Amino acid sequence: MIVKVQTEYAVEVSNLTKKYGDLVAVDHINFSVRKGEIFGFLGPNGAGKTTTIRMLTNLTKPSDGTAKIFGHDIQSQTIAAKRYMGIVPEISNIYDDLSAWDNLMFTGELYQVSKAEREKKARELLELFGLYDRRNSKAKGFSKGMKRRLTLSMGLINTPQLLFLDEPTAGLDVQSALIIKDVVRELNQKGVTIFLTTHDIEEANVACDRVAIIHKGKIAAIDTPEKLKKTIQSVQSVEVAFDKTSPKILGELERIQSVNEVRKEGDKFRLYTHDPATVLSGLWEYAKTDNLKPISLNTLGSSLEDVFVRLTEIHVKANRRDSDE
Amino acid sequence: MNRKRLSLEQLKADLRAAWAITKKDMRVYYVNPGAIMFGILFPLFMFLSFAVGKDAPAATLIPGLISITVLFSASSIGPMVIPMERRVKTFERLLSAPISFYSIILGKTLSGFFYSLAIGVIPLLIGLVWFETQILSVLGLVLGLALPAFCFAALGIMFASFPTENPGNIMMLLNFVRLPLIFISGLYIPIESLPDWGQAIAAFSPLTYANDLVRYALEAKTNYGVALDSVALLVFTAFFLFVGSRLNKKFNK
Repeated sequence: MIVKVQTEYAVEVSNLTKKYGDLVAVDHINFSVRKGEIFGFLGPNGAGKTTTIRMLTNLTKPSDGTAKIFGHDIQSQTIAAKRYMGIVPEISNIYDDLSAWDNLMFTGELYQVSKAEREKKARELLELFGLYDRRNSKAKGFSKGMKRRLTLSMGLINTPQLLFLDEPTAGLDVQSALIIKDVVRELNQKGVTIFLTTHDIEEANVACDRVAIIHKGKIAAIDTPEKLKKTIQSVQSVEVAFDKTSPKILGELERIQSVNEVRKEGDKFRLYTHDPATVLSGLWEYAKTDNLKPISLNTLGSSLEDVFVRLTEIHVKANRRDSDE
Repeated sequence: MNRKRLSLEQLKADLRAAWAITKKDMRVYYVNPGAIMFGILFPLFMFLSFAVGKDAPAATLIPGLISITVLFSASSIGPMVIPMERRVKTFERLLSAPISFYSIILGKTLSGFFYSLAIGVIPLLIGLVWFETQILSVLGLVLGLALPAFCFAALGIMFASFPTENPGNIMMLLNFVRLPLIFISGLYIPIESLPDWGQAIAAFSPLTYANDLVRYALEAKTNYGVALDSVALLVFTAFFLFVGSRLNKKFNK
């Protein structure tokens, strides 16, 4: 039985902090997720995103601050808050020695779903995720993608209003990734709030209404993907490998017009720029003049790492400007 | 009134969840090689290594064999299952469900309890069939199997609170407690034959009371009486569960 609290937010985080000794893993973060939103939570390893999710799902106690799920404080009204959640962790935590069906039945029992309801729901979910024919097979024989789909099914057996998805498609085969993305979209259309953690900024760009970036335990930015994308368009790059190489090439490439920075990565050079077209033209001239033959040439969009570097620079500069003022 | 109804609903939900956890553990872990090794073979060989060659009728050794089997089987399930579940992150599935932590503890304790009851019956049957063992008190036997099984399952859960993903780490720690208990609890030498200091030490071992109940059931001999044995085992159980839940809270900060 859920006692409903009137709120427009599925998640409200206020000054949430986690310290491990002297290490501040999450540092007084604030954000909220509106009901029905797909909210992307991005960050490199060690940024604090898993710790944040663990606090939101009550697996770790905050050192300071509060988190509310549909208006219920996760620490003082833990069970009421948990009833709203479905959780799909980064690691597919299923029971390998149980069948797909039994994994769902067990999870349904934990979430107090009635027998008739969990059997109906399990059938629907297994069909939705293409696992119904394998329902009686032990999960230990499943591929990584099948295990992921089963984990997602288990996260949905209680018909949650808020779904935590931690790296749902990382390292999956195309079929599994597509099924999961489709289901997430459909769930959201039915009003389920999605809290999505991912390294893949393009996945976040396509799926999310808003995105937060956490870096070194602090929120570096929260915005819509389009606005976020605009901030990173100046961090594109051109990657080139020549048929021969010499130590002087690095310095010469840095002199090409519109190149901001050059990094040597193995036998390749990566030229960072805000204007790939001008760099390609300059690169072509350089290769012709120095009699070099490009054996591979790629223009690359921004990686998540690029976004972080960019955003944290802005962040630091903004802080400095604030303190100067 | 409304709050009371909610609490009652939550209690029912917790009990159902505890039973679901127990059923799941039965299916997944009872036939696990680790459970068989630590729960069945280890106590059997431990017992045989000390009992074989002893100048005593085989029937008199059956109560001790039952007690040692119940001790090892009940206390092995928690320390084996919980670290394994931590390793594959299924324990987090339990922790993130809308149930109280006590229902997880209860579910895991019941897993050890039922496993131990099933295993503890084996030496009893051996005694009944081959060594002319007789059941002289059914109540004593029920209490002598059920209370120790629950108590030692709680002991295992207490040790399993240490946050490791390796069952071997906990088994090693647990054996520092279980092995001495065998020697101070009157399994090989009746309590009444021990010197005063030996009897004083034995009073601090739950295995003493467990064995006393089984001896009462099968030999009509008791040192402390059924009531004191039962109360002592319940007190030890409460202590193990209390310390276990405190340790869990401490390690899950």
